[in-house]
Amino acid sequence: MSSKKRHSIFRKSLTRTIIFAALILFTASTFEAYNQSQLSLVLIYFIGVLSVILLTGTSGQLSLGQGALMAVGGYSAALTMIHLQYSIWLAVLAAMVVAALAGLLLGLAAARLSGPYLAGTTLVIALAIPTIANRFFSIFKGDEGLFMDSGEPPVWLTNLIGEISFEEWELYLVLPFALLALFFASNILLSRTGRVWKSIRDNESAAALSGINFSREKIFVFVISSAFAGVAGALYGMRGIVAPSVYPVALSLALLTAAVLGGIRSIAGAFIGTIIVVFLPDWINLVLGNFETSTKVADYLPALISGLLLILTVVINPAGVMGGSHHHKKK
Amino acid sequence: MSNFLSALFSGVSSGAIYSLAALGLVIVWRGAGVVNFAQMGQAMFSTYIASTLIINGYSYWVGFIVAILAGAAVGALMDLLVMRPLSNKKRTELLSSDSMRAAIPVIASLGILGVLQALAGIIWAAEERGFPSPVAREGLTLGDTVMPFTLYDFFVIGIVLITLTITTLFFKKTGMGLAMRATALNQEVAKLSGIRTNSARTLSWAISGAASSLAGLLIAPSSTLSPTSLDLVLIIGFTAAVVGGLNSPIGAVVGGLIVGLVMSFVNFYMTPEDVYISILVLLLIVLIVKPRGIFSGKDSRRV
Repeated sequence: MSSKKRHSIFRKSLTRTIIFAALILFTASTFEAYNQSQLSLVLIYFIGVLSVILLTGTSGQLSLGQGALMAVGGYSAALTMIHLQYSIWLAVLAAMVVAALAGLLLGLAAARLSGPYLAGTTLVIALAIPTIANRFFSIFKGDEGLFMDSGEPPVWLTNLIGEISFEEWELYLVLPFALLALFFASNILLSRTGRVWKSIRDNESAAALSGINFSREKIFVFVISSAFAGVAGALYGMRGIVAPSVYPVALSLALLTAAVLGGIRSIAGAFIGTIIVVFLPDWINLVLGNFETSTKVADYLPALISGLLLILTVVINPAGVMGGSHHHKKK
Repeated sequence: MSNFLSALFSGVSSGAIYSLAALGLVIVWRGAGVVNFAQMGQAMFSTYIASTLIINGYSYWVGFIVAILAGAAVGALMDLLVMRPLSNKKRTELLSSDSMRAAIPVIASLGILGVLQALAGIIWAAEERGFPSPVAREGLTLGDTVMPFTLYDFFVIGIVLITLTITTLFFKKTGMGLAMRATALNQEVAKLSGIRTNSARTLSWAISGAASSLAGLLIAPSSTLSPTSLDLVLIIGFTAAVVGGLNSPIGAVVGGLIVGLVMSFVNFYMTPEDVYISILVLLLIVLIVKPRGIFSGKDSRRV
């Protein structure tokens, strides 16, 4: 690839990232504390959904275990902060490295599996991994979990922009990671690597014939995608606690739902899907406020509607909101 | 020694139930090429229906039969409303890649699982309830000694054996069973020989729904019933199906027994928390040593 082309990919990704940053900062300034906290959650989920976009959308490997990799990241960050007194930034880095290693192991196994075998196995992993926390209670503290704290905003920041609320600090802590994730994901998807991964998704035999070592590439996708999930998991734990109940199977499914709703091959789609999944309960409450409803309806309605949206999306347009309609394209 | 026998009997009895769950997965995989992750959601739904009937004064057997019919109906509806439209879709850009074609129905089944669990939560609230068993679940006594098995264990094993016999006879001896086997083997050829492949597929979904509902009914007395209480059975059933070979009904039965025994022995001799990890380890060993399962035949599907 010519350096000119690489330069243009770099610039395109950078532009996307800067526009995204401006959009988030502007939106946050119009939000109250609760919605600012929800926005941080959107950014954390977004990183996790990007890991699904890379793995499933780009390379075609359906994993239901991204929540387990987030748990790996969360526990790594919490343990390094508690025992090694790492700063938050270092802890997230540690989470990324450990999750990437876990992804390497998973990828080595996954390279042999395909389709439903991979989906089922990763589902078993999503269920089994969190139980380790109870098994090795002295390290992981079981269901009680490990406490994690995003701390106080550093002095240089408060000097620069004045006193900020807890929610704002949380947002400023998460935003740089979301921006880095967006930048890297965009670079990968635009580059040769992204096209190689798509060739694995679209036609394994053709990819192999054109000299691509697709087992190695499959493992590579797993490592990168797991690094994303690890960062998301560490930031997710920083909202208070790292425990098995924080990373249930439902978390893996929520990430997949967000990815599919928005468009499983598109970064913009990942963001839109994430907004839908995070804010859906709030929107439903807003609507339900006008009606008399029992609490059990209110509790289960978000799950019902996101399930229905997921089914409708795959039946009507599997490419999702941002996938556009390719129905008329002749293949 | 008594520990060993207890583990053995409880393993066989629970393994028989896992066999049914695995059989449900295998039937849909062979018949429609989909691993149905909504399966135990369907089972949970029908078990709630049975539970509601029984609470309202109907006998166990009325609840039992209505639940199995409901399971079959939900399975058929899933195919008609979601899976058939999906498989009839034109080759859009996304679906034209093999890996995504395989992934989309799986994602749809996860959506259905979410919908069924949410519906059950809304209709029957989230409170856990028990589920009755038709026969005693205390250890049988012979003279003064308490035996390591219960009448319920025999009931479970009996029902599972009857079901397996009926299913085998249906697939081997009836015309519809033959049509379904032909569809599973090669859909295009089956269609050309005049078999209504669409109906055969819907029937696979219905039979699988009935089988998994039966598994739900049988396992419910030994746990509580809640919208998510059968999720674990899905994972065990999947492992059992993979151990035996996703293509093989006999494999499903053997796989179910193997998984049941492994879990039961881990439970008796190690700590109960190791059960999940032991399932994962068993699954990984099988996938590494014999990825197509113990009973994979020569006609196994290349995936």
